[in-house]
Amino acid sequence: MRQSFAIGIGGAAGQGVATPGDIFAKIFSRRGLHLNAYNAYQSIIRGGHTFLTIRTGPEKVTNMGDRIDLLIPLNQDTMDRHLSLLSAGGACIYNADTIKPGTPAEGVQLCPLPVSKLADISKNKVAQNTLAMGAALSMMGVGFQALESVLAEQFRKKEQAVIDENVNLARTGYDYATQNFQAFPHPLPMTDNRYAVLSGNAALAMGGAAAGVKFYCAYPMSPSTGVLHWMAEHARKANIMVRQVEDEIGVINMAIGAAHAGVRAMCATSGGGFALMSEGLGLSAMAEIPVVVIDCMRAGPSTGVPTKTEQGDLWQMLGAAFGDYPRVIAAPLDIGDCFTLIPEIFNIAERFQCPGIVLCDLLLSEGRLSVEPQALDFNPPIDRGEMITSANGNGHGEYKRYLITESGVSPRAVPGLPGYTHTVSSDEHAEDGVLISDEYTNTVKRRAMMEKRMRKVQGIEASAPPPELQGPADADVTLIGWGSTQGVIEEAREQLAEQGIKANQLQIRWLVPLHGDAIVGILKGSRRTIIVENNFSGQFARYLRSETSFLADGHIRKYDGEPFMPHHIAEAVKEQLAGETTLSIPAHEVMV
Amino acid sequence: MATTATPPPAPKVNRIGLPVLDYRGGKTTLCAGCGHNAISERIIDSLYEMGIQPERVMKLSGIGCSSKSPAYFLSRAHSFNSVHGRMPSVATGALLANKTMMGLGVSGDGDTASIGMGQFVHLMRRNLPMIYIIEDNGVYGLTKGQFSATADLGSKLKTGVINDLPAIDTCALAIQLGATFVGRSFSGDKKQLSAMLKAAIAHKGTVMLDVISPCVTFNDHEGSTKSYKYMQEHEEAIAEVGFVPHFEDISVDYDAGSTFDVRMHDGSHLRLHKLHENYNPTDRVQAVKALMEAHEKGEVLTGVFYIDPEKPTFTELLNMVDDPLATLPQERTRPSKQVLDEIMNRLK
Repeated sequence: MRQSFAIGIGGAAGQGVATPGDIFAKIFSRRGLHLNAYNAYQSIIRGGHTFLTIRTGPEKVTNMGDRIDLLIPLNQDTMDRHLSLLSAGGACIYNADTIKPGTPAEGVQLCPLPVSKLADISKNKVAQNTLAMGAALSMMGVGFQALESVLAEQFRKKEQAVIDENVNLARTGYDYATQNFQAFPHPLPMTDNRYAVLSGNAALAMGGAAAGVKFYCAYPMSPSTGVLHWMAEHARKANIMVRQVEDEIGVINMAIGAAHAGVRAMCATSGGGFALMSEGLGLSAMAEIPVVVIDCMRAGPSTGVPTKTEQGDLWQMLGAAFGDYPRVIAAPLDIGDCFTLIPEIFNIAERFQCPGIVLCDLLLSEGRLSVEPQALDFNPPIDRGEMITSANGNGHGEYKRYLITESGVSPRAVPGLPGYTHTVSSDEHAEDGVLISDEYTNTVKRRAMMEKRMRKVQGIEASAPPPELQGPADADVTLIGWGSTQGVIEEAREQLAEQGIKANQLQIRWLVPLHGDAIVGILKGSRRTIIVENNFSGQFARYLRSETSFLADGHIRKYDGEPFMPHHIAEAVKEQLAGETTLSIPAHEVMV
Repeated sequence: MATTATPPPAPKVNRIGLPVLDYRGGKTTLCAGCGHNAISERIIDSLYEMGIQPERVMKLSGIGCSSKSPAYFLSRAHSFNSVHGRMPSVATGALLANKTMMGLGVSGDGDTASIGMGQFVHLMRRNLPMIYIIEDNGVYGLTKGQFSATADLGSKLKTGVINDLPAIDTCALAIQLGATFVGRSFSGDKKQLSAMLKAAIAHKGTVMLDVISPCVTFNDHEGSTKSYKYMQEHEEAIAEVGFVPHFEDISVDYDAGSTFDVRMHDGSHLRLHKLHENYNPTDRVQAVKALMEAHEKGEVLTGVFYIDPEKPTFTELLNMVDDPLATLPQERTRPSKQVLDEIMNRLK
């Protein structure tokens, strides 16, 4: 089993859960540790329940894991909801003045902090948070110096007195714990590695910058807003035109307008906003103007559960906009991949002049992960496809924007180039862009243009690799997932292996092109197949069946708003191997 | 007998040496007598007279009879026939990505005042440098004659259906929202429309022109307030519009008491000979009041209602790099090494 340590900090929104979270994350990453953070929160500005899980360890930490080692409840509600998650060896640090502990499991250490005795709470309302942080680090065997320097950094914009006050408070908590609480048996390890810690939304935005995006626009929508925030913050420095637009209809059309003019244009939204973008997606396809749209999925339908995750938008993406047209859809496998995927999908969308859709989800968008800095390559190849960027004399009328070609790709000229004036149209058009349904509909031209566009599908298929099987070839069971479930399935396989069950994994990144034949070829060799996905109806299972007639033996699905934990999958696999069911719906053990 | 061939007379050209033919477009497929065709003619004339390089123009439209019309003028320009009601955002994206292009948008009353209203409103707010023309006939032609939101209350369709909702005044709205050149004209008023279009070309911010353009098939009959007859009887010009482009160095004497002279940003002069008393085209409140009063009287007020030649445009406000984003060399499309190092340091 991987060595890891998880801290859970919870409280009401506005109580300051985020700051200790940031500080712990910095300390862990500076010790050369990996980390994964997931924040369970609600659609409320103040109040409600927020619960942040930060898991760290010397090896890659791909998900929030199954258990918490240290609980820091900032209010009674958090204590009541989460104390039962601690098992022997765990500890709970809390404000003894305001929170009653309840009865923990055997072997759990309760660590009450006499906050009003240790700090002047009339001056500092978040004194309990800082004291608890100090106490926690003492128990984890982390030297105080690490906390002191991160605190100084965290409050660098404030005056020295504020920094001193916080450092002193943290020191008080640290010393109190050293004297009164029992430290965890294994001090937090340290390595020489250094990781970059970032959220999926930041990774998506940075991937855009690496891809050479010059135009980004969006309408704020959870959980995609972080992409807009990153872009807005870095717009000036990175020379990216960033606009907040009146709605998602405006967003996609503005991105299309910018892409038409010649820049790489990107936008992000969630399912509800994407619904408004469908019309524009059709325009991108018909006018053959490439744009990349990121959909950060949240639980639907409609307004749905704005702050909870789901993989429920696949069929919306497959069916978005009417008519047949080539599109590319990919789901990043983890936060690092949010970065990597963007330049890749831009290259395909631009080469084939069609919309590219990134199917991300709240879990990745708002989660945070340690990533090898080298993995964030800001110089990935840029392939803009057949694009004309310099003038060709002063001639007119010879250039055909929608030239019929064998590949289906017509060389694209940037507007403003003499010699390449052209008409772009959302109406079906002839090679010169002039619409064909005006005086009479030219069926021959319609068919030729339809076939030209659809020929691009073959090129798209060849430009993205098929998925590969991970894990032992002679496994008892093959787990099939897509996108963000990569890490949690991987850890579930490790748990199964410890219990003598060999599992391998087929994780899908490219949804369109799917490479159905390759998938069926791989799955033919599987003893048993189980599809794992974060939705009700098995959207990927249905898609795979529709494309390949492949029927999986079993399904594990979750649609309660929370992501899978490794044990959810491991236990479901066991019950399915025992023949108890073919559809497992793991229950989330705690209300967050 | 010796003959000397007389060379054919050189075609008349404009100041950049192009004949008017270079400003023409494809053959119209709109109905004979459609007001939209007359507007296309005026666009051709004014672009020719102003000596605009056709390849620098980006024609933009939505969907509908009006939005087809960019095909009927300026074939030598770039054209984007977008989706119903979505031209404003397409135009915004395109012009932000390449601010050196001249944006010329043609929309209709359905395209603007119904399906595209949200987009129209936000476009006006931006003061994006472009000309936005509404070819306004109060009716949906391509779907066979339903009322649009600019049809007047009580206006009657050929089928006898009476419009039961008040009209949206796109000019009053544009003035309120921040457009910096707002006017209304009539497709049949050659002189006024030409002068307004030329002034529009000289203007640097958003120009919003609502051009009443009768639909000869569905909305040109007794009872319609968007018919040739109604317009001839009820058109009330607020001022006579005159325009002197910057390259015509003509000094014109004018009576300061009865003429309002607006010096445009490019040095041109828009000269409005007042017909209405106390009319001041730089006063937004008065402009909206004049429009409201005309509605009360059943008049269709035409002319330039409001102009602000100095307000910074969207592209000026955004403080963009000098080169258009769309044509930056690839090595300038990614953040600099220094910026990247800064970004990476903050992640550690």
